[in-house]
Amino acid sequence: MSALLPFAAAGNGLTDWLAGLFPAGVPFWILGLLGAVIAFALIMVFVSVLAMFSTWLERKVAGHIQVRYGPMRVGGWHGWAQAIADGVKLLIKEDIVLADADRALFKIAPCLVLGAALAAFVALPFGPNAIVADLDLGVFFILAVSSVTTLGVIMAGWGSNNKWSLYGAMREAAQVASYEIPLGLSLMMPVMYYGSLSLHRAGEMQADWFGLHWYVFSDSFWLAIPSFILFFTAALAETKRSPFDLPESESELVAGFHTEYSGIRFSFFFMEEYAAMYLMSAVGTAFWFGAWNFPGLELLAGSALYAPLAVTVFVVKSMILVFVMMWVRWTVPRIRIDQVMTMGYKYLTPLCLILVFLASVWEWAKAALTGA
Amino acid sequence: MDDTTMERPLREGERLVELDVRTQDVEINMGPQHPATHGVLRVLLRADGEILTGAQSHLGYLHRCAEKIGESVDWLQYLPYTDRYDYLSAMNNNLAYSLAVEKLLGIEVPERAQYIRVILAELNRICSHLVAVGTYGLDIGAFTPFFYALRERELLLDIFEKICGARLTYAFIRPGGLMNDAPAGWTDQVRAFTDLFERKWREYWDLLVDNKIFVERTANVGVISEEQAIAWGCTGPMLRGSGVDWDLRRDQPYLVYDRLDFEVVVGQGYRGTVGDCFDRNYVRMYEMLESNRIVRQCLEQMPEGEIQHPEVGLVLRPAPGEAYVGIENPRGELGHYLVSDGNKIARRLRVRGPSFSNLALAEHLLPGCMLADAAAIIGSVDIVVGETDR
Amino acid sequence: MAKDATRDTAWGPVEIHREAARAAADALRSAGCPVELHEPNLPTYAPPGEGKRLAKKHKEENPEYEWRGDSYLLLTDRLRLLEVARFLRDELGYDMLIDATAVDFDAADDHLWAVYQLLALGRKTRLTLKTMVPKADCRIDSLVPVWPAANWHEREAAEMFGIVYTGHPDPRPLLLPEDWVGHPLRKDYQYPDEYHGISCK
Repeated sequence: MSALLPFAAAGNGLTDWLAGLFPAGVPFWILGLLGAVIAFALIMVFVSVLAMFSTWLERKVAGHIQVRYGPMRVGGWHGWAQAIADGVKLLIKEDIVLADADRALFKIAPCLVLGAALAAFVALPFGPNAIVADLDLGVFFILAVSSVTTLGVIMAGWGSNNKWSLYGAMREAAQVASYEIPLGLSLMMPVMYYGSLSLHRAGEMQADWFGLHWYVFSDSFWLAIPSFILFFTAALAETKRSPFDLPESESELVAGFHTEYSGIRFSFFFMEEYAAMYLMSAVGTAFWFGAWNFPGLELLAGSALYAPLAVTVFVVKSMILVFVMMWVRWTVPRIRIDQVMTMGYKYLTPLCLILVFLASVWEWAKAALTGA
Repeated sequence: MDDTTMERPLREGERLVELDVRTQDVEINMGPQHPATHGVLRVLLRADGEILTGAQSHLGYLHRCAEKIGESVDWLQYLPYTDRYDYLSAMNNNLAYSLAVEKLLGIEVPERAQYIRVILAELNRICSHLVAVGTYGLDIGAFTPFFYALRERELLLDIFEKICGARLTYAFIRPGGLMNDAPAGWTDQVRAFTDLFERKWREYWDLLVDNKIFVERTANVGVISEEQAIAWGCTGPMLRGSGVDWDLRRDQPYLVYDRLDFEVVVGQGYRGTVGDCFDRNYVRMYEMLESNRIVRQCLEQMPEGEIQHPEVGLVLRPAPGEAYVGIENPRGELGHYLVSDGNKIARRLRVRGPSFSNLALAEHLLPGCMLADAAAIIGSVDIVVGETDR
Repeated sequence: MAKDATRDTAWGPVEIHREAARAAADALRSAGCPVELHEPNLPTYAPPGEGKRLAKKHKEENPEYEWRGDSYLLLTDRLRLLEVARFLRDELGYDMLIDATAVDFDAADDHLWAVYQLLALGRKTRLTLKTMVPKADCRIDSLVPVWPAANWHEREAAEMFGIVYTGHPDPRPLLLPEDWVGHPLRKDYQYPDEYHGISCK
């Protein structure tokens, strides 16, 4: 994360920082292009490291839940280099494109999937100033861009020319289409509380109370807790994690939409999965669990340590949520597609609507009483 | 059904509606290489979206001509082949074949051998049910219970290894007795396992069987009525899951089962309808506990003595005749129908595998279910393809 | 628990099944079905040293054929199989077909045996029903209308022995490939030299 730090101390986001480095006459598009390249590199590095760490963590978590150790050999200490070895293996493996596949779709799909997941990182705040672009629409942008991955999954399923893949793609389409609604609605509660769609702004607003004025501890906690449970459930479905892993459900669809993929293209799907998990966890952290705020951290404000520590706090908090996702995956069985739909439309969506109503009344009442 | 045409004449004001979406059923091959078919079963499914409209099993990918081999090798030489039809319950297969040959030979093995046979058969039943319950979890999408089940199975395999040197295919129970007596300390190891197992059993129950999602996925799915189960010749947990109180160990007692006290577990619709996938799994779960009880009683009752019938050598010459012996395998009735002409090779060796009959019904349960239920139903039958194909 | 079943031998009850076979034979005969009851004439337990003597005797083709095992009912008129099967199921309570198979005892025989293992859950008895199928006219009624369980067993017997089960709802080969030549469990079966270019020798 240290790569992000130069501009973390400066203005608001990457382009602002770049603008400060160059004389005023430099055209904006050069700055934009340069910013884009730097941002892409940073995010790519971050996501790669994240995916590697997460695969290792997932295997260790799975191992320990399943009364075994998981990888223990590669690299020595608890198999820490296992993910690197896997990555190298995936890179040098033969990349098979089926003769009967729709070659164009088959090849575009993994790039689209990963690209969309990477793009969503743009609006993610890692620290008080460590954000690539502090969009006013922050969370809306993340939701919109990350659902493009669905398109990639459908392309992969269709392009593979395999019925199992097609089933996986169709399930993904059905599942994401129905869970986007509760996911979006469950985010309305914090959005109403903060009065902003920006994750960065949410982080700043949770800094009071010695760094503990998190949404879940605020006066709206009775809305925050149920809304977080709904959000987390919907996020599991959105990221195709068990018990909602129907698009790739192993025992039913072989491997679902990525049955026919191998090598680096397969690893793109893999990275996307972990990127999406982290993304959802990060949104959850930013909105509900105080983003980068942590008791005592403010004392360091202004020092050189502040920014890296803030980023660390944010990443650790997000990884805890990622861990919960893994925990859930290795504990529960998978539900059936009709039960997925029932849950989405009959339970999650109405509950979200009720919460939205309650939240709007509550936030309005608060504003009216305090005269704000 | 063709929705685009209307049979009756149009009434006034009506017009023909052409639906612009026409769907077509998908034909899809589940297997022979598929994670949920437990080997190389191939089920040809026809599906309308997620709903199955037809299913047809294709067998024979693992056909190893066991019955033909049986007509060309000695009676004793055939024993290792019995290990390989239902490789998860090889002790029981050995036992079924040995009893059938002993019936033709007209001999009864010494009492100690009978007790050791029962212990091994019941431990093997626990072993097999552990895999059945664990892999059923995999079919439903829960990975972890499988590892818990294999943890205890490993202890059992150690017990088997200690007594016969093999962990999967034993050829230990043989016509005339056993390969050898139990080594020193073996009974203590078995007793330690029975004590441990009762505690561990609770873990599978809490983690998998009583899990809300698991119940949702299995209760009321793939219901087999009592009449259906009987008409289709289902046996074992598949029959008992449908509420039929029938267990060969109690109703046609062989070996020393008549001296042992155990319950026959019958499906009761604990979470849904009698005869659903949950009940079949429920029967397996509780049968493990009953087997555990049987093993304990055998350890207490087991006498000292010989383990081999004195007159049985390596070349067997059973009397001419024909015999059918069926025993309660973990998956149901494993029967051997032997025809002998008095020579050292069988004239006909027919194997009646439980999975074979159980599976015949399974494909009739699939139409109308969802695609995910196909895995649940086939998993609940607990087939071993090595036995359906033999 | 109910321990009403008897255990005669280590391999399971014997006497109860023999009794059941006798009862079934009487009932079928009084219903006008042409059945013969065959009972083993060797003792259930072998006297010491019996094995070799018997085999020798069999080689010398002793006309007084001695055998051991289960008693069975032989249906002498195979055309009445369906009727007998229905009678056994409906009147005598043999509600379960455990196994349906065939036996080719000798290549020189002009008959195959069709063998059915039945089980009465209520009375806890087993019954073996046997009938002869001439190799020249290898047809027999399918028992699927009586016991659906016969379906796969008959398909297997059909491909292995070349018996045609008339009235079978789904007479495809089960275990063998569709284009397999010959019926492998017949005693006169010739092993193929190759199958689709794969040498079988």
